[in-house]
Amino acid sequence: MISSDVIRGYNDTIILYLLLDNDSYGYEISKKIKNLSDEKYVIKETTLYSAFNRLMKNNYIESFYKDETFGKRRTYYRITQAGIDYYKEKCKEWELTKEVINRFVKEEY
Amino acid sequence: MDTIINYLDNMFATLPKNKKILDLKEDLLSSMEDKYNELKRNGKSENEAIGIVISEFGNIDELIKEFDIELDDQSEELPMLTENEVNDYLEVNKKASKLIGLGVTFCILGAALLILITQLIGDGLITGVSDNYAGIVGLIPLLLLVAVAVGLFIYSGMTTDRFKYIENDFELPSHLRQSIKNKSNSYDPTYTKAIIIGVVLCIVSPIFLFITAPMSESASSYGVVVLLMIVSVAVNIFIYFGMKKESYKKLLKIDEYTHSNKQKNKVIGAIGSIVWPLAVIIFLVSGLVFNQWHINWIVFPITGLLFAMFSGAYSILKEKN
Repeated sequence: MISSDVIRGYNDTIILYLLLDNDSYGYEISKKIKNLSDEKYVIKETTLYSAFNRLMKNNYIESFYKDETFGKRRTYYRITQAGIDYYKEKCKEWELTKEVINRFVKEEY
Repeated sequence: MDTIINYLDNMFATLPKNKKILDLKEDLLSSMEDKYNELKRNGKSENEAIGIVISEFGNIDELIKEFDIELDDQSEELPMLTENEVNDYLEVNKKASKLIGLGVTFCILGAALLILITQLIGDGLITGVSDNYAGIVGLIPLLLLVAVAVGLFIYSGMTTDRFKYIENDFELPSHLRQSIKNKSNSYDPTYTKAIIIGVVLCIVSPIFLFITAPMSESASSYGVVVLLMIVSVAVNIFIYFGMKKESYKKLLKIDEYTHSNKQKNKVIGAIGSIVWPLAVIIFLVSGLVFNQWHINWIVFPITGLLFAMFSGAYSILKEKN
């Protein structure tokens, strides 16, 4: 289980990644995070919706309503071009972070 | 599912109810509902499902921070006053004004007693006490009365404490507002008369001094005693009637108690409970340390006049605004 403090800076990256291929909504995204991380990371609702708000403010994603088959209306999110650019940037940043941190990590001591 | 809805309602209870927040709440509920349904489908019990959904909710502060929610904006959360509360408030305020008025009267009467006892001993009307101890004997009732007065100030402050929310802001049902307005209007002539009587008393209070002063020094001391007693009655009138008037104004949010210009209630009473003990302290210090007993009583009529001017000017100015 990953602590939310450690992963904070990368919630945006995770959400943007999950929106790259298709639009999605809150619960689906949180479920995918849980599954793809082998249940090692479960994002809190408040963290998820704070991230949505932040990403929308920066125009990295946009929201729209979609009616489901049995009449339930859901808020969906779609990634924008600016969001894709930002995602690429974050990926580069992560490569660098990983490289730097790895220099301070020892397997055995 | 009801448990989850209640949980979310509680989390959002203190937040403002604008569209953005309500949309957010709806999205959160929808997401939590999805999660709950899926957990149930996967064979979790009702309690397990609720437990997991709530434990994965997170911290509402995170949203408050991110959405930059102004928690102060609680315009819909103002307490609505009931008839009982209003009557309670008026009743408690009335009692408090009596107590504060009484306390102030005690402060002044204590000083009058000091002068009276000292003079009576000096004139040999009270025997068995030597002149050296005359001042001390007179001080005892003064200090006792001041102690009682301070107790009264503190007690009256405590009784009005539970109406603190009226000091802040509240909603008043219109029928209640009308009935308070009627009461306030019918009280106005009484208030005006009381203020006039108080001011007249203050003005005529030195008369006995003028009459007795030419007779002898000891006679003038008795004149001072009468003067102080009249002043104490006048001050009592200012406080009692002034505070009642203020409590109406407070409830009706008029004059200084309007939305934009809220001030502390009981201004006259509050000033009174500070100024009068202060006058006693000045009286005591100037007497005990500087031995100015023959003239220092003047602080009481002066304070009385200033206090009368203040309460009068305060009421008039506030009414004009």
